[in-house]
Amino acid sequence: MAETIPWLTLLVFTPILGVCVLLLVPRRQTRLLRLTAVVSALLPFMLSLWLFGQYDAATADQFREQTAWMDVALNREALNGSVTSFIYQFQYDLAIDGLSLPLVMLAAFIGCMAALASVNIRKRRKSYYVWFLLLETGMLGVFLARDLLLFFLFFELTLVAMFFLIAIWGYFDREKAANTFLIYNGLGSAVMLFAFILLIYTAGFQAVESADRVELVYSGNYDIIAANLLNPEAYVNLAPNLMGGDNPFYLSGEMKWVVFILLLVAFGIKLPVMPLHTWMLHVHKEAPVPVVMIHSGVLLKMGAYGVLRFGMLLFPAEAREAAAVIAWLGLANIMCGALLALRQQDLKLVLAYSSLSHMGIVLLGLASFNEIGVQGAVFQLVSHGLISALLFLIAGSIQERTGTTELARLGGLSRSMPFISGVLLAAGLASLGMPGLSGFVGELLSFLGLFESMKAVTVLAAAGMVITAAYVLRSVLGITFGPLRENGEELKDARLIEAVPMIALLAFIILLGLYPSVLNGTTADSVQEILSQLRAGG
Amino acid sequence: MDTVYSHYAWLIPIFPLGAFLILAAAGRGMRTAGIVTAMAASLASFLLSMLVLVERLDGRAAEYNASYDWIATRGFQLTIGFDVTNLTAVMLAMVSLISFLVCMYSAGYMKNDERITVFYAYISLFTFSMLGLVLADNLLMLYMFWELVGVCSFLLIGFWYAKPAAKAAAKKAFLVTRVGDVGLLIAVLMLFWYMPEHELSFSAIQNVFNEGQSGLIAQGITTVIALLIFAGAAGKSGQFPLHVWLPDAMEGPTPISALIHAATMVAAGVFLIARTYSIFEASAAAMETVAIIGAFTALFAASIALVQKDLKRILAYSAISQLGFMMLALGAGSLTGGIFHLLTHAFFQALLFLGAGSVIHAVHTRNIHEMGGLGRRMRVTAFTFAIGALALAGIPPLSGFWSKDAILAAVLDKGHPLLFAAGLAASLLTAMYMSRLFILVFGGKSGAQPGSRKSLESPLIMTVPLIILAVPAALLGLVELPWEGWGRLGSWLLGSGYSPQHDSGAEVMIMSTAVAALGLYIGWLVYGKGMISRSAAAARLPWLVNLLDNKYYIDELYHYCIVRPVLGLGTLLVLIDRYVVGGAVRLAGGLAMLAGRAGTRMQNGQVQTYGLLAVAGLVVLIVAVAGRRFW
Repeated sequence: MAETIPWLTLLVFTPILGVCVLLLVPRRQTRLLRLTAVVSALLPFMLSLWLFGQYDAATADQFREQTAWMDVALNREALNGSVTSFIYQFQYDLAIDGLSLPLVMLAAFIGCMAALASVNIRKRRKSYYVWFLLLETGMLGVFLARDLLLFFLFFELTLVAMFFLIAIWGYFDREKAANTFLIYNGLGSAVMLFAFILLIYTAGFQAVESADRVELVYSGNYDIIAANLLNPEAYVNLAPNLMGGDNPFYLSGEMKWVVFILLLVAFGIKLPVMPLHTWMLHVHKEAPVPVVMIHSGVLLKMGAYGVLRFGMLLFPAEAREAAAVIAWLGLANIMCGALLALRQQDLKLVLAYSSLSHMGIVLLGLASFNEIGVQGAVFQLVSHGLISALLFLIAGSIQERTGTTELARLGGLSRSMPFISGVLLAAGLASLGMPGLSGFVGELLSFLGLFESMKAVTVLAAAGMVITAAYVLRSVLGITFGPLRENGEELKDARLIEAVPMIALLAFIILLGLYPSVLNGTTADSVQEILSQLRAGG
Repeated sequence: MDTVYSHYAWLIPIFPLGAFLILAAAGRGMRTAGIVTAMAASLASFLLSMLVLVERLDGRAAEYNASYDWIATRGFQLTIGFDVTNLTAVMLAMVSLISFLVCMYSAGYMKNDERITVFYAYISLFTFSMLGLVLADNLLMLYMFWELVGVCSFLLIGFWYAKPAAKAAAKKAFLVTRVGDVGLLIAVLMLFWYMPEHELSFSAIQNVFNEGQSGLIAQGITTVIALLIFAGAAGKSGQFPLHVWLPDAMEGPTPISALIHAATMVAAGVFLIARTYSIFEASAAAMETVAIIGAFTALFAASIALVQKDLKRILAYSAISQLGFMMLALGAGSLTGGIFHLLTHAFFQALLFLGAGSVIHAVHTRNIHEMGGLGRRMRVTAFTFAIGALALAGIPPLSGFWSKDAILAAVLDKGHPLLFAAGLAASLLTAMYMSRLFILVFGGKSGAQPGSRKSLESPLIMTVPLIILAVPAALLGLVELPWEGWGRLGSWLLGSGYSPQHDSGAEVMIMSTAVAALGLYIGWLVYGKGMISRSAAAARLPWLVNLLDNKYYIDELYHYCIVRPVLGLGTLLVLIDRYVVGGAVRLAGGLAMLAGRAGTRMQNGQVQTYGLLAVAGLVVLIVAVAGRRFW
């Protein structure tokens, strides 16, 4: 029975089901609205846990759901008569592997926590939850889609949902932040779409010949494109002079570089890579708390996922040559992010730059091209997702109480809010890479991996850890230690509904820190697979 | 010989961990029960450690190791595990005993603190981490516990978080040690890639670096690894130039200073080097560096201690100085001397700190010039403190004398007359500042304290730990008496790999005793009898006193040479980020808007404009086509 149920579709579209239910709930029924939203966010998490239990690390793609969704007929007249069909096939293709699984679980978990944290949303709750759940569907879909255009659709869904969530429910400067976000990411999407079309037009082309039929198919299917790119006999790799002077599907070495760089730029904006990060600051500062949790916890990871899945795996040879560049970009992220965070006056901006810095570690891991490093990168993605979601959640709680996140106006909160301060301290320690908490494992494995090939970069990045400690302690101690500010005595500590997501996030951070094999075990074989592909191409 | 209790050594850190979890979960609800839980846990650890130690005392017990996968995939594995050797056994006993005594002492010292449960939770977490550090069987696991003890130290220094000084000190302690920790982390990375099979366990390191197999790793690499490990050790053990955090760490509660910043955590650096000693032995340059830095630190810190006014800071500098002695021993090739001094120092320094805590508890000040005459009013404290002070000064037959003598003899034996002289000078200064401290605090009349007949002695729960600590502080040195043949401790610690060395006989002993006595005498002349004016030095050499008073301006140097430039770089990046990167983004956006506006303006419905544009376009086209020919 388990085989016949489309688990992944269920997982992705449960939030949409929730939207349908929400539409039927009257606007004034606040509790019911909230309950529906939380349940619709909780179900995908339960499903992802179930998938985690069922997942067999040794098999590559699992729970695959693949159907031809639309066949777009193309102009057959232009070709000679022997061609029986000439189509573009748009596939609905979902699958899960060791790379997707942790990220899907992360997305579902953070989504669930963010739904819990949405209690502070006070206006237009119904439409808020509708956009929120659409966002969740989008981000779950991104990590599961195995068709380029399907991926693109999910990717865009997150953009639209984010735009409205920021623009309507954000803080003071929300509209500007939403516009910046949309324009910048829209540009990124345009670049991505351009690269995808180039890929579909060349590597996505297949000619299926049998006795009486010749079928020519363009497809955006990821596996087909990957297989074609790696196969020296495929059209995409046959130079025109071998084909009698004309091969419209040929992707020359230079063009491969073009597509690779386009993909890097498109996903680099999302990641974000220095200096394409400015849009992110506005979002982190202005968006409502649950949305920032999702944004920093999950959406940034789509960038890294894209770099790995579409950039490096499709173009392993190019990626290998660009490894040093990727590593140096990662180092720039780490150092600049940390130094900039050291000088910020607002907690949210400190956290925004800290995200920039920590995503640099992911780039280091990816640039290592060995098992440890790639494991580290994946681990760091999950770990940073949890940690940054927790940090932004706390920042939101502090802002709700004190009305500010400016460091100069905060201090001594340990006295009146010991629980929140304690969690903030723990999250800060996780962020600066304390052993026993998840941040350390990601850092350690990434450094360990990169050290094999690029010692200087690793050493510099490790030295950056001191600056990381400096800015984390500066902001965390600034807020929690020292004498209490005036009116501070009346501040209330966390309510139960706030404490639940904090404890849950912290629990996962500790679990991953103490027992990383939970995650490494599932990703190990996929990482091996990825590496063998990278090596095969390189 | 078979071992029984060693197999259960993993339980030793588990007790305090359990106490931490209970205390953390129970929150502030429990006070007495919390104290009892923490004490019971550390007592259990101590008893089990003693069983392990006793079992190994005859020196024939086999080392016990158990290790498990932490992260394992097909390509690589990182393990965690524990190692019971004679060295770890004796460290376990020392750490858990002092931890237990400090827990007991704190019940009196911290009685009125409303967050006492949190305090005990942190202490339990620290004890767990420190015991884990000692037991770790590989460098990576040691590094993890190494960071954890650092965090506990940070939390406890900042325990009174509302005090700005405590906040600054906690931050400083964390950041300065972090600098060293980065070195250690890089050493781990290097070892991972240079060791065969990516082995990080201490036994594998020992096998690879010991003589005979040293060809596996190039000499230069070995030196770099050793120096990076030493950087980590220097950060934790307060060695120059990373010593600056330790005096500031005195902002924490005094029992913490005794446990963490005198006896256990700061000695972890020495322990780390002892654990990886074969790497150091494989590199003469690294040994040289360790010895020089150690000797320099010993002298340098002792000189600062001479003029400080804060009771705890003087002891902090003395701890730095003694740690310098241990490093000197290690650098001179005497692992035994280093570990011997580590052990004796742990007891007498913890004793001194707890005694200081007792004094501070009574008089509510840390300035030694505001004390005096406390000897009669705090008899137990004064007596035990005297034992600690004499042991520190190196007066026979107290423990400090024997271990310091072992170090000095080893240095002389190795042919480092200069370092030997530095060690002797540091001994002289040590005796001087300890006699100054003791006389100012306990001696003389209690002028500063009105109502002076009343006893100020601390409660029993605080004095009993002092008395217990005084026993090993006085007698521990007797485990290795020179005339019973050097090397009992050494051969027990190191097993068959130990080669008995120095036999300098009585000269060193006489010299060091003479120097210590001279130091005490000078101190007595100045502060006790008043033969030499206290301000004589200040009058003759004002610059020197000033220099010492300001701790050689090291803090200021770091502030201007490191902190400021880093912050400046940050500011520069902020400006670049705002104006260059942000400006480029705004420019791109603005250009797009401009183009849009220009386009809008052209759609004004006037045929003349359209005609003009069409002509202009035609001209451009013609020029382009025609121009191609000549190009």
